[in-house]
Amino acid sequence: MLRFLVRRFLGAVVILFLLSIVTFVLFFGMPRDPGLLMCGKTCNPTSLANIHHVLGLDKPITTQYWIFLKNLVVGSNGFAQGPCPAPCFGYSYHTNDQVWATLIDRLPTTVSLTLGGAFFFLLIGLGTGLLAAWKRGTLIDKTATAGAMVLSSMQIYFLGPLALALLVYQTHIFDKPAYNDFTANPVTWFTGLIIPWVVLSTIFAAQYTRMARSAMIEQLQEEHVRTAKAKGMSRRYVFFRYAWRGSLIPIVTIFGIDLGALLGGAIITEYTFSLPGLGQLAVQAVFFSDLPLLLGVMIFSATMILLFNIIVDACYAFIDPRVRLA
Amino acid sequence: MSRGGRHVYAALSVLAAGALVLTGCSKGGSDASDNNKQDKENAARQQKSIKFGNAADSTGPAAAVPGAKAGGTMEVLQRDSYAHLDPAQIYVSDEGSLATLIHRGLTGYKASDNGKTHEVVGDLATDSGTPSDGGKTWKYTLKDGIKFADGTPITSADFRQTFERLFATFINQGPTYLQQWMADTSGVDYRKLLPDGPYKGKHLPSTVLETPDAKTVIFHFKSPHADLPYALAMAGYAVVSAKGDTQVKYDKAPVTSGPYKIQSFKSGKSMVLVKNTNWDPKTDPIRNQYVDQFNFTFNQQYETSTKALLADSGADQTGLSFNNQVDAGNLSSVLKDPKLKSRTISGYQPYVGQMNINLSHAALKDKTVREAIAYALPVTPFLRAYGGTDAMETAGGTISPTVSGYNAAFDPWGKKKNPAGDPVKAKALLKKAGKLNMKLTFGYINTPEGQQYSTAMAAGLKKAGFDVQRQEIPAETYYDQVSKLNNNYDIFHSAWGADWPSASTVIPPLYDGRVIADGAQNYPQVNDPKVNADIDAANKITDPVKAAAAWEKIDEYLVKDVVAFVPTAYYKQTQIAGSKVGGLVYDDVIGGVDPRRLFVK
Amino acid sequence: MTTLTKEAGVPSPADAGALLSVRDLYVSFKTEDGIVRAVDGLSFDVQRGKTLGIVGESGSGKSVTNLTILGLHNPMFTTVEGEILLDGQELTTAREPDLEKIRGNKAAMIFQDPLTALSPYYTVGRQIAEPYMKHMGASKRTAWDRAVEMLGKVGIPNPKERAKDYPHQFSGGMRQRAMIAMALVCDPDLLIADEPTTALDVTVQAQILDLLKELQQEFGSGIVFITHDLGVIADMADDIMVMYAGGAVEYGTTNEVLRSPQHPYTWGLLNSMPRLDSDLSAPLAPIPGTPPSLLNPPSGCRFHPRCTFQDRVGGARCVNERPLLAPDRSSACHLTADQKRTIFIEEIKPRLG
Repeated sequence: MLRFLVRRFLGAVVILFLLSIVTFVLFFGMPRDPGLLMCGKTCNPTSLANIHHVLGLDKPITTQYWIFLKNLVVGSNGFAQGPCPAPCFGYSYHTNDQVWATLIDRLPTTVSLTLGGAFFFLLIGLGTGLLAAWKRGTLIDKTATAGAMVLSSMQIYFLGPLALALLVYQTHIFDKPAYNDFTANPVTWFTGLIIPWVVLSTIFAAQYTRMARSAMIEQLQEEHVRTAKAKGMSRRYVFFRYAWRGSLIPIVTIFGIDLGALLGGAIITEYTFSLPGLGQLAVQAVFFSDLPLLLGVMIFSATMILLFNIIVDACYAFIDPRVRLA
Repeated sequence: MSRGGRHVYAALSVLAAGALVLTGCSKGGSDASDNNKQDKENAARQQKSIKFGNAADSTGPAAAVPGAKAGGTMEVLQRDSYAHLDPAQIYVSDEGSLATLIHRGLTGYKASDNGKTHEVVGDLATDSGTPSDGGKTWKYTLKDGIKFADGTPITSADFRQTFERLFATFINQGPTYLQQWMADTSGVDYRKLLPDGPYKGKHLPSTVLETPDAKTVIFHFKSPHADLPYALAMAGYAVVSAKGDTQVKYDKAPVTSGPYKIQSFKSGKSMVLVKNTNWDPKTDPIRNQYVDQFNFTFNQQYETSTKALLADSGADQTGLSFNNQVDAGNLSSVLKDPKLKSRTISGYQPYVGQMNINLSHAALKDKTVREAIAYALPVTPFLRAYGGTDAMETAGGTISPTVSGYNAAFDPWGKKKNPAGDPVKAKALLKKAGKLNMKLTFGYINTPEGQQYSTAMAAGLKKAGFDVQRQEIPAETYYDQVSKLNNNYDIFHSAWGADWPSASTVIPPLYDGRVIADGAQNYPQVNDPKVNADIDAANKITDPVKAAAAWEKIDEYLVKDVVAFVPTAYYKQTQIAGSKVGGLVYDDVIGGVDPRRLFVK
Repeated sequence: MTTLTKEAGVPSPADAGALLSVRDLYVSFKTEDGIVRAVDGLSFDVQRGKTLGIVGESGSGKSVTNLTILGLHNPMFTTVEGEILLDGQELTTAREPDLEKIRGNKAAMIFQDPLTALSPYYTVGRQIAEPYMKHMGASKRTAWDRAVEMLGKVGIPNPKERAKDYPHQFSGGMRQRAMIAMALVCDPDLLIADEPTTALDVTVQAQILDLLKELQQEFGSGIVFITHDLGVIADMADDIMVMYAGGAVEYGTTNEVLRSPQHPYTWGLLNSMPRLDSDLSAPLAPIPGTPPSLLNPPSGCRFHPRCTFQDRVGGARCVNERPLLAPDRSSACHLTADQKRTIFIEEIKPRLG
């Protein structure tokens, strides 16, 4: 297991390298001069050249990239805005805030949104899927399947405002969704995010319902499940201990992918509910041609996705003993 | 590039339309009764010419707001976080609104109770300034008892710091009028006057800026600048604490001089303003301090803030937004609902839209052709694309109703009466010029609105006998493209906002033939000797009322006689607030709700 | 084997003394193409301490029979008619909880491919311990010890360590032993072995067969042994039932069936087995034709399309009338007893060498 983790970790680092290079190159391929933002309203070729010099944009791309890497690993004291300890992504062109500090600041919102949403969509999605498989062929099964199909076609930008209208604005049952600090008050943290969680989970849950149901039905026809039954184990035991174990692998795979993507920033959800997370940051960075912030968000998000892919792979070893990770 | 000015951020319209909301097809067209009503409202809203106030006008305290009482907390929902809090970096309208509460300068705008009439008065200075030497010298005396939020008294040394640091390279976002006037240059060469600002021990010579004692500030310019009081009223020239000047860090934590100070600021998330106990109302003729605390929340899109304020529950009852509009989808229903009247305000934004005609192209040098374009161009599509007459008003000239000198009756092409255009008359003119079916390249911005109105406008022009070819331009680079001198667009739209309610910030940057350059804003590339001469003459007039009249004459000449462009619309907006928000007034100079009058009911 | 002492055509009552007694079992599946008659009227008995071998081709219905005994068929698509008595208890109408009590406890199954039949997710020890815990109410500790004991009994070296291993860490033969251990952990009275050695190589096969015989000796269980391999059956079974197209065509003691078979199908089977001492150049003699479709089985005798002896039966009886398993020296064929004896001795036996 240790060798496996080390190997994957190194692989992830390589991918992040490549990603940063690609981002750098794409950024400079954009038609908009990144210096324009910092240059300000009264821009002309002289001041623009000055800005390029201050930001180091007049150096060759390879040098800039090298500086970027150096800052990342060692930090930098060369910024006018102040010292920038490792990992240093520099200062945002638009807000002049330290990029790393901004990322860390936005992280709790995205993490809360993701974990809470994941909890609900797993609960609802898997629960419904298992129920449908248990009661296969009955009305419950048909309802669950049809419901899942309908919900999986929904989009957040439809369900979100609908939920807001119904639950917040028309009926005043809930307050406007917002991110409230967990450490300050867990209760308001929960009530502030419950609507985004439920909306997010409704859309994801459907996917898990269908998958859980079909995986379970397939597993129930496997030979070893039949053996368990032949040993006299109860229907429930066979269902949960045998068929369920077999269904885990595809479910864990999809979950890892979903989790990684959500942690990278659920842009539409954050936009719909006005939550200040990483997704919004990403949009802002692109919008304003804000290179340091853009790099920061991309690498951060990519790290999340890679991390969760590694965790998922490691999980396989726990789930299925046949998977050797050496 | 010469003077600044404000572009409508092309991108703003992308977000403003609420990208994910159906833009409502509100009642777009005009019927006669609506027009009459509008005309009457226009007449009422017209910016009376602004005067410069004297000592009496500049004495505090500010007039009490009827019905106001002290206390309470207000929730402010804003779409964008504040990128800059350093006055010298403030230029965009949302930071400008905020600045009215926290920053004070030598001069400021005093508004009437309905937000429509203004005068420029002394804010930290005793009056709006004493000119001499034909407007080349201006003297200001500071009031007694003025202090920063940290208790230190405000002196001329702070003002020296304020103006000298403008030349340092890290100040690059705010206005540049003063710097250019001091250095007597256009463009960015002004920095040469004091390359490192005051930070390396050098200072502006007394031939430029004099501070003979702690209470006196004297400007010496090489050319007359009758508009100095306007310029100094901008947030960009508000006072900076010499003792507390942390340079780049000041942008996140300035020392404030207004009735409020910043208790906390989480960029991108929230901000809290609390009362500045060192602010003396007796020194302030333009601001009140009723509310105890302002809680700002950022990232509230227009739809979100509109919905929350409509629902009016909980904390949102004392909620409003300084700069968010009612979103396009909800606009017409909000305006139709009589119950909401007491908590909505509408007014003009400083932007004026116009369709530029590229005078550098040979085919367009024929004035008859340009007149045909002016008659043929339908303005209705533009209004419709942005939500109808509630969001846009048909324009007659390039001077906005918010600007001193606006003439509501000026409408040479009959757009106000007939916004759909007059293709018949246009076709006749085109025939006369012998240019029937001439090709016209129409560059349009690639936003949902741009696509919508350019299609309909092209159709209208086709009816008049033009062969219109539309060309799409990406939103992010739109202004870069159309400001290139040798672009191939015959007609293209732009919008411009005056920096202060005088056309001296509109006509010269847009129509002075001598500023034509790549990247400059003279989009039609008009270089008319009469216009240039008239601009120079108007710049010399020291009396603001007379100057306003002179600018308006140039405006009319450009629209009617030169036909360098066709004005399309005056931008408007509607804002909504919670039911417990009192003192809700739309201020035309601020371009939104006036934060200085607010109180919690 | 108990001779059925009754007239032909009249089904005898279930033998209450037998361990397992199956009477007139009909099993059919609803499929998209129609109804498949997998088992079409089957009756047999199994005694304690004895082994019944069931022989037949794929599709003869032997596996289906087994699964049905323990109620492992899919109730949504399967229809079961007839009687199955396990030690006097009727199984076709039993409720699921009752069946659960029996499975793994009183009657256990061994499957063909232990790699797919054992769960890859749990240790072998745990899988063996599970039924013991459930049926005997034993504690985890006790059950684990029992599992280790059983592994030792089936001849797996170092059982304490190996119990912690997963099925994929065992070799084929060891796996099957583990499966046997799992089946026997609760001392079942009836053991149903569905082709347990088919997936193993010959040497291992022999070991497994010996093991089963030993265990049968020790525990006194009755075994139903299904296979298509006549050699294995000869070794293991006390009685043999030959199945074809969902029904039994021959039923007797091993000796009787293998030494003096009385059904053309059985003759064909014996004939088709390659022999070590036969002439190398002589061609193999498969039974002509292919197994019939169970959707639309042939009329009359199911075997008639492939039978070369039809013409010796009068009329078109083979085509129209289904022969029943006769009570005396049971063989479902219209040939008379004499004919059967004669044909075998004169025509078949010489070829068998």
